Amino acid sequence: MLLLIFVALFLLLIDTYTRWLQPVRPWLAELTTPIYWVSSLPQRISELGDEVVMGRAELEEENKRQKTELFILKGRLQRMAELAAENVRLRNLLNATELLQNSVLVSELIGVSPDPSRHTVLINRGEDHSVYIGQAVLDADGLMGQVIEVYHSSSKVLLISDTSHALPVQVLRNGVRSIAEGMGNYKQLSLRYVTPTTDIKVGDQLVSSGLGGRYPLGYPVGTVTSVNMIRGNPYMSVELKPSARIDRSRYLLLVFSTMEKLGVGEDARE
Amino acid sequence: MPESSQMVYLWSGVSVVLGLILQILPMSATMAHWRPQFVLLVVFYWLFRTPFLHGITFAWLAGLLLDIFVGELFGRHAMAFALCAYLLQLLQQRLHHFGVFHQALLVLPMVLMSQLLLHSITLIFRSDWDGDMLIAPVITSALIWPLLVWLANHLLRMQQLDRSIS
Repeated sequence: MLLLIFVALFLLLIDTYTRWLQPVRPWLAELTTPIYWVSSLPQRISELGDEVVMGRAELEEENKRQKTELFILKGRLQRMAELAAENVRLRNLLNATELLQNSVLVSELIGVSPDPSRHTVLINRGEDHSVYIGQAVLDADGLMGQVIEVYHSSSKVLLISDTSHALPVQVLRNGVRSIAEGMGNYKQLSLRYVTPTTDIKVGDQLVSSGLGGRYPLGYPVGTVTSVNMIRGNPYMSVELKPSARIDRSRYLLLVFSTMEKLGVGEDARE
Repeated sequence: MPESSQMVYLWSGVSVVLGLILQILPMSATMAHWRPQFVLLVVFYWLFRTPFLHGITFAWLAGLLLDIFVGELFGRHAMAFALCAYLLQLLQQRLHHFGVFHQALLVLPMVLMSQLLLHSITLIFRSDWDGDMLIAPVITSALIWPLLVWLANHLLRMQQLDRSIS
């Protein structure tokens, strides 16, 4: 009895104060991946069921909707090319560096942290797909989080809604910088240290500012849902709704930005 | 009966893995918040059912397995589960006479104890941690206990192990 308690205590101590367990973690992750896969089966089966049982009318409806969506997006893309060209021209005029091109890798979510107070997920890409620690993760709508542990063929992602997570953002409308912090709630983030004179309103779009070197610039983070002045508090309480569907998305994108590869992000990683 | 006790160990191992799968099953945030402590309940079941085969070591191993899956702090669940198992063993003499619902009443404070221990261990070893202690799993664990016992007894009867261990 006492021996077991001491072993547990010893494990806790070396896990907290040393890095001896670091090499063991990837191996343990390999062992746990099959069980995580099994645990995601019910969800997969229900999804598969939805696909198989979907009626013809429904499919046609979806097809039509997607065609319209594609049409609209293509239209926007045409403008995008022109804007990108213009951006490059203007940047040349300003003697600024070339705009960074980001490439992405699609990955699938295979596990969610069993502890509801820790917002981490497991994805099916790892060292074998050259995933690296600190890499930004997106879903179709916005920023999701960053890679914190890389295993052989899977990796662990810390979501932006975790209480230990903060990311530098800026207001799209006027470029005001701030820090968006997780609150342990999938539907809410909050801005830290916003002074009462700051120009920020409900409905403002926030994008990643690229400061700190970890996240690439310009990915949507969230929309301001409330701005409140609290009596006796020198800062305003600003809350956001994240753009990414943090608790829903099954397919995530890993961003490979060229800046990180050049090692600019290195010091931010410390 | 060494052979049947081996079978019991095998089945208890399988049940711990099943509990583990239920514990890590992806769920919506609200559901996850109310999720019972399945692994701990499985451990309790075996401690109630076969106290001569399953003890603190079993609870410790199940906790360590959960730690490997949760991957936060190694030894956290192991320690909490082992301490809970120790408390349960102290009450062992009385437990023989308890019915299922009576047991559920005992499971409630035991799961609360484990949540308290898990929370305090995290607070001691993670200075940056500011999560809340979860009370919801305590309630759902006690509520689901009779169902779990019924199911497990049923499965044991199907495996015809119940006679050899009771």
